[in-house]
Amino acid sequence: MRHSVPKRVPYYTRSSLWISLLAIVLILSGCGSSAGTGTESVQAANGGTGGTLTYALATTPDTLDPQRSGWAVSVRVFGNIYDNLVVQDQDGKIKPWLAKSWTTSTDGLSYTFKLRKDVTFHDGTPFNAEAVKFNLDRIINPATKAANALALIQPYQSSNVIDEYTIKVNLSRPSEAFLANLSQSMLGIISPTAAKKYGEQFGQHPVGTGPFEFVSWEDNASIKLKRNDHYAWGPETVDNTKAPQLDGITFSIIPEEATRVGSVQSKQVLAAETVPPQNILGLQNSPDQQLLQTDTPGLPYTLFINQRNAPWNELKARQALQSAIDVGAIVKTLYLGTYKQAWSALTPSILGYDASLENKIQPNVERANQLLDELGWTRGADGIRVKDGKRLVLRYVDSSPNREKRNDIAAMVQQQLKAVGIEVQVNITKDIATVVFQNKAYDLYGNSQVNADPNALSSFYHTPAAGARETLTGYSDPQLDTWLEEGAVTKDSSKREQIYRQIQERISDQALIIPVYIFPYTVVASKSVHGLHFNYLGYPVFNDVTLTGTGG
Amino acid sequence: MKALFGIATVNRRDAANHALQAESQGWKKQKRQQWFSLLLAGLASALVALLIVFALVPQWIAPYSPTAMMTDRILQPPGTANWLGTDYFGRDILSLVIYGTRVSLLIGFSSVLAGVLAGGILGALAGYAGGWTDTIIMRMMDILMTIPGVLLALAIAAALGPGLPNIVLAIAAASIPGYARVMRGGIVGLRTRGYIESARALGASNWHVIRRHILPNAVSPVLVMATIGLGSSILTGAGLSFLGLGTVSEIPDWGALLSQGRGYLTVAWWICTFPGLAITSFVLAVNLIGDELRDRLDPRVGA
Repeated sequence: MRHSVPKRVPYYTRSSLWISLLAIVLILSGCGSSAGTGTESVQAANGGTGGTLTYALATTPDTLDPQRSGWAVSVRVFGNIYDNLVVQDQDGKIKPWLAKSWTTSTDGLSYTFKLRKDVTFHDGTPFNAEAVKFNLDRIINPATKAANALALIQPYQSSNVIDEYTIKVNLSRPSEAFLANLSQSMLGIISPTAAKKYGEQFGQHPVGTGPFEFVSWEDNASIKLKRNDHYAWGPETVDNTKAPQLDGITFSIIPEEATRVGSVQSKQVLAAETVPPQNILGLQNSPDQQLLQTDTPGLPYTLFINQRNAPWNELKARQALQSAIDVGAIVKTLYLGTYKQAWSALTPSILGYDASLENKIQPNVERANQLLDELGWTRGADGIRVKDGKRLVLRYVDSSPNREKRNDIAAMVQQQLKAVGIEVQVNITKDIATVVFQNKAYDLYGNSQVNADPNALSSFYHTPAAGARETLTGYSDPQLDTWLEEGAVTKDSSKREQIYRQIQERISDQALIIPVYIFPYTVVASKSVHGLHFNYLGYPVFNDVTLTGTGG
Repeated sequence: MKALFGIATVNRRDAANHALQAESQGWKKQKRQQWFSLLLAGLASALVALLIVFALVPQWIAPYSPTAMMTDRILQPPGTANWLGTDYFGRDILSLVIYGTRVSLLIGFSSVLAGVLAGGILGALAGYAGGWTDTIIMRMMDILMTIPGVLLALAIAAALGPGLPNIVLAIAAASIPGYARVMRGGIVGLRTRGYIESARALGASNWHVIRRHILPNAVSPVLVMATIGLGSSILTGAGLSFLGLGTVSEIPDWGALLSQGRGYLTVAWWICTFPGLAITSFVLAVNLIGDELRDRLDPRVGA
């Protein structure tokens, strides 16, 4: 069979052409994963009502059960569904919320809260002392498998319902952090009826008393909330204590940073969180968008050295890491001056922050080499150190997707440690729960925590009680334990500051961690979004948000 | 019988013959175009040869180490110190592209080799044995063919997890049905030829007939297809790597480079563009060579 071809002109380019086209598509495909969630907000805004705020998140929440969640991104969502007994204002002072007032016993071991009487949960369940007792008891019940909430509620022991709207909370020892912790969304009050009804599934069917009600959750795509029309018990930290103006909030999950920011520019969403540093400068001068930014207090993003395994159980080996890793270069290179370098186990805004640690440990390759030489690790043929036939390997675990360029930190640490003869095996995994918390198959793993009180250090550095979650460092130090216990109960604030300064210095001297950066929570939003602000912990608050124009 | 292969093929010399019959002026034009396509193929071969040199001895060519992070020179546009600019770690893009050649080419060549071997053997078996063997093998190939190649590779790579052997396996598996079909088509066509029957009549064994008479004649279309397949394999490899299913190593391949640079497309276009150009030009070159090869090896031309 013969072919007759009328024109043979560009025959050789045909197959090549579509392949080249494919290559171009490949380059551009990074921009294609978000879908038009914004259209409905435009319609709603036009409809004369408050409109729907579309808000792009960088990662997906783990659960919307506040007591079982450990992630800041979850708080950004469920912080709207739940209210707390108390609230912390911009100066860190504790103010009433669901609790109208409270008294503390002289020994500091019990708190008596008078509760508001006009509050109901989204499902109609009345809010009262029984509901609060149910919440607090649920957290310490091992069957709940509570996460961060369990650490926050320490040293809670029990509570007594005095009357329908009065509850007495008993602690096993005094705690200066207790009230501040009660203001955290992870201790938000959940509906006892719904918690009993849904059991394990409560995290997918959250019910609270907050300004927004849960509507739906599409896995890895979006979470929809709508206005709670009955809401009338907002705290004094917001202007609008009644039902919000917004009809609802749709959180879209867009992990790809360029796509997330691009979605605001293309008006597919009205706001997006975690703006990549390379885009911040450009957005600051944008005519259509505004850039909102707040530093998050608590524990900065910190690399924890797991000292369960040799050689990292030796101080000199850990000090070698401290000297070999040039954090300053990492922060400057990756964040282009938009993130601040962290120097201590706490962020600067926390009580007791030890500013004397700033600039104390400087990168020093010679010192790192010298320390490793002293430990008997000698350079092999390929430059990696060897001792007794074993290569000096460091397992660096980080999670995927590449949030806040943390995977890139791993790549830089890998190169910096290679220079002193340490082979870094980078393991980027989606399954942190198994790799880090279950198998402990890491030598270096980074984490951070949003918190308002220095007592947050306890769950990271105090020897865990039997059965409690183990610490990332696996380090047990009686001196640290004593100080951390003292810090929690000391009332005199200058004494308390002194204790936490000692703690930070000890953590630094023992080379348990490498602090990296203080995370600025950044949001890029359309200029039609008004009244979006952040609470004391840097979480967005939507009570006062209004939309103008056509939603774009 | 050649329909299968013929569909994908457009024969230059057929066209040339037509033109010859038409008018001598057209013939001259055709001659010129022949030279032009030969020249293109020559240039393409030179480019491929250069990239192979890059892959073999990148350390002789690259101006910097691909892992050297010059943090005082991040996001530099192309210039005299860094010809193709630097990325957000301060790594030299030119050096990264040169070093990235190795893994990219390794993925391309080894997956084509594996695909050709597996597909060729299956196709030869089906074509020569015929009957039930043929039906079973080819229907299985049909099933595989219903899934788009990239999608199949994606599914396999996602199931096996990231890593060089897995990505090669995924791409090879996706290309097997194509090679099997071409091989089978060629062999079915040859099986009933007179010289094959004569060889049989002389008492030659199956093995002898396959080895001496069938394979040498059936292999050239597969060879052409493999050349063009090399381009698409590298492209698929880059795609999988872009999506994070590729190799995990200190020295990224082209696809991984694209992926790392895409967040910076609006502020530093050069991070993505040059690895992208490397992929495009390699795929283009391989296709040009494949086209030229096809013309030369096409049995219908009888040259």
